[in-house]
Amino acid sequence: MASGIKDKVVILGMGCSEFGERWDMSSDMLMVEAFTEALADAGIEKKQIEAAWLGSALDDFNVGNSALPLATALRLQNIPVTRVENMCATGTEALRGAVYAVASGAVDVAMALGVEKLKDTGFGGLPIRTKGSVNDLWMPYGSAPGTFAQLAGAYRAKHGISAEDLKRGMAHVSWKSHQNGADSPKAHLRKPVDMDTIINAPLIADPLGLFDCCGVSDGAACAIVTTPEMAMSLGKNAADLVAVKALQICASNGWESQYSEWDGASVRNTQVAAARAYREAGITDPKADISMAEVHDCFSITELVTMEDLGLSEEGRATFDFLDGRYDRDGALPAQVDGGLKCFGHPVGASGLRMAYEVHAQLLGRGGQRQLRKVDFGLTHNLGGQPSNSVSSVSIFGRL
Amino acid sequence: MAQGSLISVSGYLPLLRFDRKVARGELKWSGLGGSGRGRRAVAAWDEDALTMAVEAARSLGIDGAVDGVVFASTSSPFSDRSMAGLVSEALRLNHGASVLDVANTRRAAVTALLKALKADSAELIVAGEKRAASPGSGQHLNWGDGASAALVGPGDGIARLLGHATVNADLLDVFTEADHGVPYSAEDRFVRDETVQEIYIPAIKAALDNAGVAAIDVAIAAVPEPVDGIYKALAKPCGLKADNVCPDITAQAGDLGAAMPLFSLAMALEHAEPGQKILLAGFGNGADVLILEATGKAGSTARDALARGVPLASYSRFLNLTGGITLDWGPRSEVNQKVAASTLLRHGRDMHGFVGGRDARGNVQFPKTPIPVRPDAEGPETYEDVPLADVPAKVVSMTADRLNFTPDPPFYFGLVQFENGARVAMEHCDIEGRAPEVGDAVRMRFRIKAMDRQRHFRTYFWKAAPVERPQLPKEA
Repeated sequence: MASGIKDKVVILGMGCSEFGERWDMSSDMLMVEAFTEALADAGIEKKQIEAAWLGSALDDFNVGNSALPLATALRLQNIPVTRVENMCATGTEALRGAVYAVASGAVDVAMALGVEKLKDTGFGGLPIRTKGSVNDLWMPYGSAPGTFAQLAGAYRAKHGISAEDLKRGMAHVSWKSHQNGADSPKAHLRKPVDMDTIINAPLIADPLGLFDCCGVSDGAACAIVTTPEMAMSLGKNAADLVAVKALQICASNGWESQYSEWDGASVRNTQVAAARAYREAGITDPKADISMAEVHDCFSITELVTMEDLGLSEEGRATFDFLDGRYDRDGALPAQVDGGLKCFGHPVGASGLRMAYEVHAQLLGRGGQRQLRKVDFGLTHNLGGQPSNSVSSVSIFGRL
Repeated sequence: MAQGSLISVSGYLPLLRFDRKVARGELKWSGLGGSGRGRRAVAAWDEDALTMAVEAARSLGIDGAVDGVVFASTSSPFSDRSMAGLVSEALRLNHGASVLDVANTRRAAVTALLKALKADSAELIVAGEKRAASPGSGQHLNWGDGASAALVGPGDGIARLLGHATVNADLLDVFTEADHGVPYSAEDRFVRDETVQEIYIPAIKAALDNAGVAAIDVAIAAVPEPVDGIYKALAKPCGLKADNVCPDITAQAGDLGAAMPLFSLAMALEHAEPGQKILLAGFGNGADVLILEATGKAGSTARDALARGVPLASYSRFLNLTGGITLDWGPRSEVNQKVAASTLLRHGRDMHGFVGGRDARGNVQFPKTPIPVRPDAEGPETYEDVPLADVPAKVVSMTADRLNFTPDPPFYFGLVQFENGARVAMEHCDIEGRAPEVGDAVRMRFRIKAMDRQRHFRTYFWKAAPVERPQLPKEA
């Protein structure tokens, strides 16, 4: 019987490039920046990495497809390299590949690296892509903010929340992330923004305004993983190791968008992935046990609804939990401590690994100005696609 | 020889009506602003002659097979793709029906109607028009976008043919050369005088003679006027006392081109009492004139179409919607929308007809998939076809997307729940002002789905729209 991934794999080292409009950097340079930091953190030589996973979601923009961009950029020596793509869960998907490879015993040391070079598209926001030759005949070509904005109306209708309350709640989501981003040296956006500016910003997709939306960024993040035993044989102390407690990914099968049960006010994949992750990690009371969360705040409404889907807020209460400061850095359950997608940035393929990077840093006390008082379990969450048709990941990290 | 009856006839107009006085104001400096009187129907970016013709035909209440479908237009979006065939698919008519596109003259639909009335078969005739014209031209302001449709068949209907006549003459009131795409017109005074003397008077007199009907007994005239004042000039010489319904249509919606005659016939038959005689003309390089006797009433589609809509007061938006300007929408508009012909052949019929499927346990879904979406489905199942275009539906989720490219922002879309259980992610259309909210009812409209600007192709699908259109306010 499957026993899950808990404590079978630890993070040996992590790295993360600066995120942002890296006009001076191409994707291979971003990969090297993140990898160099991760390798130094791991304290190993490149040749000790036995397998690698590359996460890149938008292969037609600069990174390119297949394993070759990673193998070439890092000059890996003929090891197995696999490129994975799972929309905004791509970074976590890459990590899952590396973690599972180590857990299976196939290799001792594996690497996951996510990268995206979105600012070379020549415009803001994600590019519109084909949904497949059949789907293109009927599916709307909605933008990312358009697809996630759908949550807002359905959420309001389900929970009887006024447009004004929801707008303020969403604004607080973004306000909090801007506060945190200001203390993140590698973040894309490092400027606090006041509530009035957020609330009165131009609409992008009703009711989401400019500050309800994360931008897109260039960046890369990297994790090198191994077994606890191997880590200690390499000279690491158990206290310096962050273990993978759970790693779950869940994909829609069309139920939300084609079957008549879903109310459009929540994301079932996140609920399912979270339940599995808590079970895998042995967490029975996530509200109390999760110390921090890096969730997929591509849009403020996403973060708000996600907190309910993760069981961190009661259903219908997230708006008021945000307004009450529960998820602020000095709140009961700090979220997006590094600024999140909203301010740290969202180079799609790297984002899941960037979240792990912050949780890793917080667990090891490396948070600098952002360091939280007490961190036992950190949760990361990605949501790829759109609420009605998504891939969701939930990972939990803690000390060994 | 057996003769068919007119079973039903209808008219359709797009939502927007451009106030001509806006153009008069904008173009005052140039002297090209026209009369400034009335309004002009303006098709949405995702409407063309085909989509509007389909909408007109949907009002006819076709509940059985037809023997043939005729599509008439001088602005067909394709010159080598059967529009009548697509009409047949959109309306889910029998696949074996004959389909025929008629074009190149504004009287094409009347000619087709005459042939159908003289035959003993069930024929659907649709006409749609979205004609290009250069800003500053009279046509740009006086023409309107719209459609009409007529169903002819054996048995009793709402009108029968009493007589007819045709006059052919290459009178160039206006012409549009294929490679140029916009019209060139002759002097109004020449057009009025010669249309009356050389075409309409002889054709009308011959038709009345053929029908054995005295001009004084004609109760309603539906006579398109290529320029104002034509009917007034011909009525006295012909002995006609009836009012002509066409000038009202031109004033409120514009000259609808090939769609004008059947639209005006729909207007006439909404008002006519059984037994009253109607004079119907189709004009364009000659004329076909039909004398009809009302045997019933048409539904109020044309009158409703004229009465309902939303004023358009932006000249630049009018230009954008009519192709008068080409805006640079930036790189976000550079979306490759190539469609594979093989994909379209496999799935086009379900797309055009909006046909979902009922799985083995009764759940309805769109599109059909090898394994149904029903949670307990274990493997492939066969489906029963379920058309969705006329099924009541409500909004599940919705937004106005201002980032995504659309030729007429914003881009509305969301999940739509159909009463029979189907749920579909859909674009919305015809939203001006308040957008539908979660739980609001919507209806389906046949529209252009995507425009492939690189290969000059367009695909068609259905979009959700508000159920009711607002009453047009009186002109200021």
